[in-house]
Amino acid sequence: MSTFLFAVVSGILFGVFFSLMAIGLNFAFGVMKIVNLAHGDFVMLGAFGAYYALTVFGVNPFATMLLEIAVFLVVGVGLYYGIIPRLLRSDDPEMLSLILFFGISQVIEALATLAFGTNPVTLPTNALGQLSVQLFGQAFGSSWVIGFLVSVVAIGLLYLYLYKTKMGIATRAVMANRNEAAASGINVNRISAVAFGIALALAAVAGVLTPFMLGGIYPSVGVNLTITSFSIIVIGSLGNPVGTVVGGLVYGLSLLLMQTYLSSWANMVPYVLLILILLIKPSGLLGKGARNA
Amino acid sequence: MSHDALLNVSQVVKRFGGFTALNGVSLSLNRGEILGLVGPNGSGKTTCINVISGLYAPDGGDVSFHGRSLVHVPMFRRALLGINRTFQIPKPFKALTVRENVEVAGAYVGQRKRVVDDPVDFVGLAAFADASASSLTSGQQKMLDLARALSTGPELLLVDELAAGLNPQELDAVAKKLTFLASQGVAMIVVEHLLGFVNQLTQHVIVMNEGREIFEGALSAAAKDPQVTAVYLGQSEVSVRDGRQ
Amino acid sequence: MRKNKLSNAIILVGLAILFILAPLLYPNQSVPFQMMAYMALAQGINLLYGFTGYLPFGYVGFFGSGAYGVSVLVLLLHWSVIPAVIGGGLVAVAVALLLSPLLRLSGAYFSIGSLAASEIVYYIVSNPNMQNITQGPYGVNLAGVYAPNTSYYAMLVILLIFTAVVMYVKNSTFGMSLLAIKEDPVSAAMCGVNVVRNRVVIWLASAFAAGLAGAVYGWYVSVFYPSSVFDLTISIFAIVFTLFGGGGTVLGPIVGTIVLYGLYNTIGVSSPQYFQLIYGLLIVVLVMFLPQGLTSLLKRRGINVP
Repeated sequence: MSTFLFAVVSGILFGVFFSLMAIGLNFAFGVMKIVNLAHGDFVMLGAFGAYYALTVFGVNPFATMLLEIAVFLVVGVGLYYGIIPRLLRSDDPEMLSLILFFGISQVIEALATLAFGTNPVTLPTNALGQLSVQLFGQAFGSSWVIGFLVSVVAIGLLYLYLYKTKMGIATRAVMANRNEAAASGINVNRISAVAFGIALALAAVAGVLTPFMLGGIYPSVGVNLTITSFSIIVIGSLGNPVGTVVGGLVYGLSLLLMQTYLSSWANMVPYVLLILILLIKPSGLLGKGARNA
Repeated sequence: MSHDALLNVSQVVKRFGGFTALNGVSLSLNRGEILGLVGPNGSGKTTCINVISGLYAPDGGDVSFHGRSLVHVPMFRRALLGINRTFQIPKPFKALTVRENVEVAGAYVGQRKRVVDDPVDFVGLAAFADASASSLTSGQQKMLDLARALSTGPELLLVDELAAGLNPQELDAVAKKLTFLASQGVAMIVVEHLLGFVNQLTQHVIVMNEGREIFEGALSAAAKDPQVTAVYLGQSEVSVRDGRQ
Repeated sequence: MRKNKLSNAIILVGLAILFILAPLLYPNQSVPFQMMAYMALAQGINLLYGFTGYLPFGYVGFFGSGAYGVSVLVLLLHWSVIPAVIGGGLVAVAVALLLSPLLRLSGAYFSIGSLAASEIVYYIVSNPNMQNITQGPYGVNLAGVYAPNTSYYAMLVILLIFTAVVMYVKNSTFGMSLLAIKEDPVSAAMCGVNVVRNRVVIWLASAFAAGLAGAVYGWYVSVFYPSSVFDLTISIFAIVFTLFGGGGTVLGPIVGTIVLYGLYNTIGVSSPQYFQLIYGLLIVVLVMFLPQGLTSLLKRRGINVP
């Protein structure tokens, strides 16, 4: 029984972290209707940032996190203005953006391989600080607990931005209907650029936590992280940030339970969940109505 | 309701979530007959056409064609059986030429007798036959859509807001074409905001509101019907907002 | 039409001559072999993406299914190799049939869904519990039927067949109906086109191409692992080659593969990350400035590209 409880609690801790990892991808999709296939690569870059900041310069991961948030925000805004308005004017923005970000993903992976090599790097799990928690007679590692707490805070801040700030409300208007929003005097491009910056900043935060939550980091891990994130947001429902949290929890729990009881098949979890949801309820667990397919 | 009618729609219900778009609509249509379907925005006219053409499955009631129920017949098969339609916002296949757009449709029909031998010529696009469909103006795209619908040799043609965006001369020409088709035996349901255009085609109209028929009879009588005038009061923007769905 | 027939014949004969002569001129036979394999895969992607707009990131799943199909038929059921190759292709078709509900999805959903599906096939094949059938992660050895020259020409035959299939589809009403579906399934259905059936047919044909290519690949290399025949890089290369040349044309995937696989052989083998960087940048430039691929440069000048 205690094995089961351990799996469930860890599943929740991991699930919320996975929600954080995926929420940026979902946020960008919600605002721009594009799938950023390089999302996992930005998470990977965030992770390498934390690794080099700590091992070379001795910078605390939390300080790195703040720095990366600023950097990724700027990169995101720049990337938006550089490519997305042009894409959105094309015949088939969804498909072209998929291909384009696939290209960007390849570029990032190639550059990261040139810079960091192909061998996985790891960080000592206590570098995030000490905060061990006892629950049901089980000890949960401090990196998991801190990773969970940071994720809760980051998702909470995104929620506050969307529901309590003027720009956030405008962002929700853009998510609901881009054209109507533009017609009501909202600067859709500026809102979207900031949204894309925030999406990458969220990826960076998840990236800093990744070495502590998932272990070894290497340049080609980005693809896996993108697929995992995509699975989570499809489980929750594409374009719905609340759904991402549900998706992350479903994913985290399934993964940890599989690892506990059927470990040799655990790798298949994100893929099987994705296919099942796509085929049974394509709009996701929290989605309304059906999509045209 | 007559059993030898070409089309019988009986008590059709269509809901979207909690919204009832069609609430027990019935109508029937004979060969060569034109029925005008009018009413304010959101009254269920286009939904009605969508159910008959197979785009939506009804939640209740039945649609039969030549006495055969269509409820489980997919859209493409209805086209082959002799039901076709135009779209409010036509989407011609832009990767194909005008002629190819019509050939795609003609390719599957087999030996069905077509009222119109050369739909491209019939709608006045012969000069553009080899041009890419993407080069057409929006008015020409509507004509191409009509040609595409005619190429499967329909016995029943559902015409959805064909008039919107056409100039008076074009309207006149289209009305003549539709009248000619009817004289050759093609039955038509014409969904339309422009009552003047309907008037050119037929006197037989059904007025819809909130998913129900509120009037059936002559167009001239409809204008005097108190229920109809009540519905149309303050609806002067109808034709302006049209097409936004 | 007649003009098309002539240029199509020239393309087929040209391909045959190119790959018959290549091993005589080039010291390493496996390079032209792999080029043919990628070209066949690119034509398979072309059938699906070029005519329907479905971009299958998980296309390699069919390639791997074909390779493992051959190995199971030869090693476990002791079929002779040619029927086993065809059987391998049919295994991929069976997998595709199983996965055909994916066609209900559109755009990114389909692409990533197909990727997930191919990963599932990979994890099943490579699972240690499957050792009795697939040897799990430990790889298979087809040394008993190893025949590099015969399998080389088998790949050429497959390449020629599927290039011809693309030619047929491009000039047929069937192909036209696919383009119609790609643009607007509803209007296509109102043309009397059986949307679901036509999509499934081209999906199965595309899977058959990859399955046969994978089967012959397995035969040619004779020793392989799940991680080598289900390698996502194979999907990625075939997709990039197709996009680079231009989908929906016969020549696009051929030109794309010759140029990019040629480039890969010059610089990619020794330092794959530089090649990855180059094709990554190429994709970005392509989407931004030339979304219809290289051959669209000619089309824009009014030149008819077969």
